[in-house]
Amino acid sequence: MEALSPFELEVARLLVETLHLEEVQPEAVQPEEALFGEGLGLDSIDALELALAIAKTYGFQLRAEDQNNRRIFASLRALSQHIAQQRTR
Amino acid sequence: MNHNWAQLPERGNLAALRLIHWITLHIGRPAGRALLYPITLYFLLTATAARRGSQRYLRRVLGRAPRLREVFRHIHCFAATILDRVYFLSGRLDRFEVRFFNEQLILDQAASGQGCILLGSHLGSFEALRTLGVTANHFPIKILMNTAHNQGMTRYLSALNPTLAETIIPIDGGPDTLLKVQESVSQGFMVGVLGDRVVPGERTVQCRFFGQDTLFPAGPLLLAALAGCPVILFFGLYRGGNRYDAHFERLADRIDLDRRRRQEQLGKWAQRYADRLAHYARIAPYNWFNFYDYWEEDAP
Repeated sequence: MEALSPFELEVARLLVETLHLEEVQPEAVQPEEALFGEGLGLDSIDALELALAIAKTYGFQLRAEDQNNRRIFASLRALSQHIAQQRTR
Repeated sequence: MNHNWAQLPERGNLAALRLIHWITLHIGRPAGRALLYPITLYFLLTATAARRGSQRYLRRVLGRAPRLREVFRHIHCFAATILDRVYFLSGRLDRFEVRFFNEQLILDQAASGQGCILLGSHLGSFEALRTLGVTANHFPIKILMNTAHNQGMTRYLSALNPTLAETIIPIDGGPDTLLKVQESVSQGFMVGVLGDRVVPGERTVQCRFFGQDTLFPAGPLLLAALAGCPVILFFGLYRGGNRYDAHFERLADRIDLDRRRRQEQLGKWAQRYADRLAHYARIAPYNWFNFYDYWEEDAP
């Protein structure tokens, strides 16, 4: 099992808390595991809830036109990297 | 769960659609409409699953076993609205007599500049709203559409009206589909969503519908809750000849969901939707365009 970086753990906590994934421990999320479909099994509604929570917490909007959304939402690691680059707070 | 609707009744009738549209445009709507009779008969005889779906629905809405000519009328009504799509999409609205019910609601919503969810169904023609809204009234409308299961038809219809095609938000399985919807709503768009067919793997909510527990998609209501926007119901009923009735109703100014009671609260809103859907289905019974085993009566 791969350890999460401190920031990945922070994003994992936001994810678990926002989506009320009661059976998931933030520490146990695999950083490279798929968030949608397989893996954590999130759906498009989860993605929207997550995007709204990210906007509130980190002060930037995920854009729907972004061609990279599939990559950004691919894993906890990819999402955390994107937030780290884009955050305004 | 039954997902036969992905094949029915759009299955293989693209060629027939092209032919009938060609005839309609080049010879006239009466000629196209005359052709609907043999086409309807053909589907009545060959599309067994669609016929059974129709019979099961009609039994519920009419409260008795339907006659064969009522099944015929049901398929014919569907075919007639498909034919009219060519006129709607090519912007020839002058041929139609459209009565609006509670039109002020949609005018006020458009004037307010606030986005909303327009919750429709496969009862009647959503096309009527799209074209009237976009072409005639310049309402800022987009529509969330499952284009994947029927790409040939989608391409064909898109070619008829590229401007209207641009207003489609495709459900492409990407994580950001609903983000697109939310963004559009926040920009002041009215986003049309059909709320009566469940897609595999989608979240559902259970309602009573024509006397039976029935699953409805939870997505449209969750979406409205997350976007914090109003939900307006829309029903575009075909009333025969060149007549359509467009009904608007307010479902909710906003949907507030409490995390602990989310499913229960969703159930209440969905039930209101289901009740209105049943109400309009009783007014215009042959407008029900879900020709599959809707109540999963074949399920083991």
